[in-house]
Amino acid sequence: MSQLQPRPVLGDPKPYTFPEHTRLAVGGGEIVAIDVPGQKYASIRLVQPFGGLSDPADRKGVAMLTAESLEDGVQGDNSLAPALERHGADWICYATWDSFVTGVDAPTTRIGDATALFAEAVRGPALRDEDVLRRREQLLEGFWLEASRPSRLAMRAIGSQLFSGRYATPISGAPVALQGVEPEMVREFHAGTVAASAGTLVVVGDLSGVDLEGLGRTVFGGAAPVAFPEPVAPAPAPGELPRVLLLDRPGSVQSALILAQRSPSRAQIDLPRAEGMSEVLGGMFTSRLNQKLREELGYTYGVGSRFDLRRDSGVFLISTQVDTPTTAPSLTATLEEIRRFKADGATGSELAAVRQANTVGLPVTYSNARSLAHALVEMVVHDLPADHVDRLRAGYEALTAEDLRSAAEDYLDPAEMAVIVVGDAASLKAPLGEAGFGEVDVREPENLWN
Amino acid sequence: MHAQVASNGAAARIVQHTLDNGLRLVTAPAATGQVAAVNLWYGVGSRHEVPGKTGFAHLFEHLMFQGSGNVAKGEHFDAIERLGGEMNASTSTDRTNYFETVPEHALDLALWLEADRLATLRDGMTQEVLDNQRDVVKNERRQRYDNAPYGTALERILRLGYPEGHPYHHPTIGSMADLDAADLDYVLSFHKLHYGPDNLVLTVVSDLDPADVRERAERYFGAVPARTEIPTAPDAALHGPIGGPVRETVVEAVPAAGVFQGYRVAPYGEREFDAMHLASAVLGQGQGSRLYRRLVIERELAAPGDAADIIPFRYTPSLMLVNTIAREGVSGDELEQAVLEETEALAGGITEEELDRARAVLERDHLQAISTPSGLADELGACTQLFGDPSLAFTWPDRWTGITAAEVAEAAGRLLVAENRLTVRFDPENAERAAEPAA
Repeated sequence: MSQLQPRPVLGDPKPYTFPEHTRLAVGGGEIVAIDVPGQKYASIRLVQPFGGLSDPADRKGVAMLTAESLEDGVQGDNSLAPALERHGADWICYATWDSFVTGVDAPTTRIGDATALFAEAVRGPALRDEDVLRRREQLLEGFWLEASRPSRLAMRAIGSQLFSGRYATPISGAPVALQGVEPEMVREFHAGTVAASAGTLVVVGDLSGVDLEGLGRTVFGGAAPVAFPEPVAPAPAPGELPRVLLLDRPGSVQSALILAQRSPSRAQIDLPRAEGMSEVLGGMFTSRLNQKLREELGYTYGVGSRFDLRRDSGVFLISTQVDTPTTAPSLTATLEEIRRFKADGATGSELAAVRQANTVGLPVTYSNARSLAHALVEMVVHDLPADHVDRLRAGYEALTAEDLRSAAEDYLDPAEMAVIVVGDAASLKAPLGEAGFGEVDVREPENLWN
Repeated sequence: MHAQVASNGAAARIVQHTLDNGLRLVTAPAATGQVAAVNLWYGVGSRHEVPGKTGFAHLFEHLMFQGSGNVAKGEHFDAIERLGGEMNASTSTDRTNYFETVPEHALDLALWLEADRLATLRDGMTQEVLDNQRDVVKNERRQRYDNAPYGTALERILRLGYPEGHPYHHPTIGSMADLDAADLDYVLSFHKLHYGPDNLVLTVVSDLDPADVRERAERYFGAVPARTEIPTAPDAALHGPIGGPVRETVVEAVPAAGVFQGYRVAPYGEREFDAMHLASAVLGQGQGSRLYRRLVIERELAAPGDAADIIPFRYTPSLMLVNTIAREGVSGDELEQAVLEETEALAGGITEEELDRARAVLERDHLQAISTPSGLADELGACTQLFGDPSLAFTWPDRWTGITAAEVAEAAGRLLVAENRLTVRFDPENAERAAEPAA
């Protein structure tokens, strides 16, 4: 071998289908399972139809506080996670707007023990006053710890700029609302939702020797089936769009910059068109925005775009952190890329990249138990058909250049966008105003959700 | 819990081979089908940098994606992404790794891209490319270090823990000044000196026949010549304790006081390192750990999170870290005092139950790390490059089984002492602000 090889010509990819899952009704619940031989670390997720949207209006944050508090277990006093740790397992618990998800990642050899611990914590937690109050204080302080990271603060502010109603306050209830959530409210919420609903149990891993029915009986107990609520589109935020919200972070050497716009909900959106458009604009490393802002202009370490889709609504967002003096130029450059995309659409090469990445690339996406479990959780939360991954794949295969251009027309409208900047207001206010995007409203982060 | 759970018989199916040019190839089976995880560990890291030229290994990692003799700028990303592959790279003190997971039919392309930038990177390098990536790295520094609360903690810790001029004294990201001074000639010489097949472990995790993968590796990498000049790494020898207690206090706009402490422990791979790894888990990994129980739950002094960790350095003593953030109304002094009490108490003994939990937590983390093709490939590459034995990727947890509670307590008692301690404190600018946020 005396010289380097020429660039290889690849053969055809092998066809891929998403693994079949087993469905099993047990008591009031249903199990959805994928067997992955050799995957000795399993993922188990109980999905229930409650989340941040289920918070009563005067108890914003109660769903999230309940999720946090389950970790104290049946004996209270933070007893659950240490017990699971002894089995080499991880406790999983989080609330989204639409769902309440609890579970464990555990070695398959310990799946019975780990599941039993998790089930009793979900069905019969102690929820003692002192534990819930401790969790509430930690969440409140944690909110500000998180908010000291500019990109996190900017993300949290999106809801207030695009929605009124529940979405206008962060899912944790933010400092003011959460302060008013008491232990009795958490117990009431838990009894009425988590304890009362059987839910759907997702299980992914090497299932040889695993008693799925037994797992279901343990987890569902005697709880009844409960359906997800009918979605109702939320009202917009008060005030005019487009606008710029500038959250002051004096002395910052970088600004967090977000452009956000409402989009259709998960059920209403044509995902291949929408996601395909987003990938070309900002979803891939080779996207328009990343090439421009990072590789060409050197303003940033990275920029991305994505959809955040709920049952009743959606948000499209572009997010980046840029060198402070380049903040207004970054905004202008981003708007120019959006304009260009809407006018000219995607190139043949970009279309091919999107189609292939989402078809040929599926074995890579689903090469581990967690991502397989996540696909099943999505299926449950959004009432998707059993073959939704394969249908999505077919949608990408059929994508055209016109699809991507029309998606940009449909989903990108700067006149309907809110721009959020977290950075040094003293140096940013004037240039952002001069960018001519919209009114610049300067606020202190502490006062945003009062 | 037994480590055999992790191996699943796969350790027996690792195949190793060394090419004539010194390239070490490792193959192993994947748990899910139709993918190939490719991983390259080069034996170059920031420990090879000298003062005035810090940040080069990492800047160089960026430059490796900017085109080579037969690949245009950005083409590597594009080629992998359009196949739905996942890719990235990272730099540490001890190594630089490059990795991509692709659909199996694209393995040749991944290998070809990697071989091309190994062999011909210098042909694609220009001043413009260097200038652009320098800006990107400077933004990375801003984002991850300068603009993040407590972001400069590690940099300060390393400065205190290793003497000036020592190769582990500076952070891998380097300084803004050194990055500004980076010139093209030096960059080109860096590639020549450190990037050769003889300084590389190539790992492929897939369901392909090992003989098939070996033939492909020969085909794409066989023609790349070994380096003619092998550089000597700067001397990283270090003996004895840090010479403390040493400390630095930073007053900055942080939301709460932060206490970051470090202790010098054995190099990665030595038994004492394993003992201290267990000690760090007993002390501060997981919610059953001492610091979590005592400082987060019982006394409510620290914010939730893992408080103890260990940075593995292969070629010099490692650092065990104990890092905590204060709860509202708690001063840095009070938190620091409480952390010290718990740290020093380890010397008094560790129960079997504590040790069992610590082992279970570390084994769990290890299992999770190797539960994806990409994670497994990286672990195999690491064990081969650092220890010459890829099977350690499966058997590593066995090391923890053989260490007793008495051994852990003895090591803790010897090493977690004032003479071996560094402390970096972050105190909020306005103490009142931290105690009572407005609204």
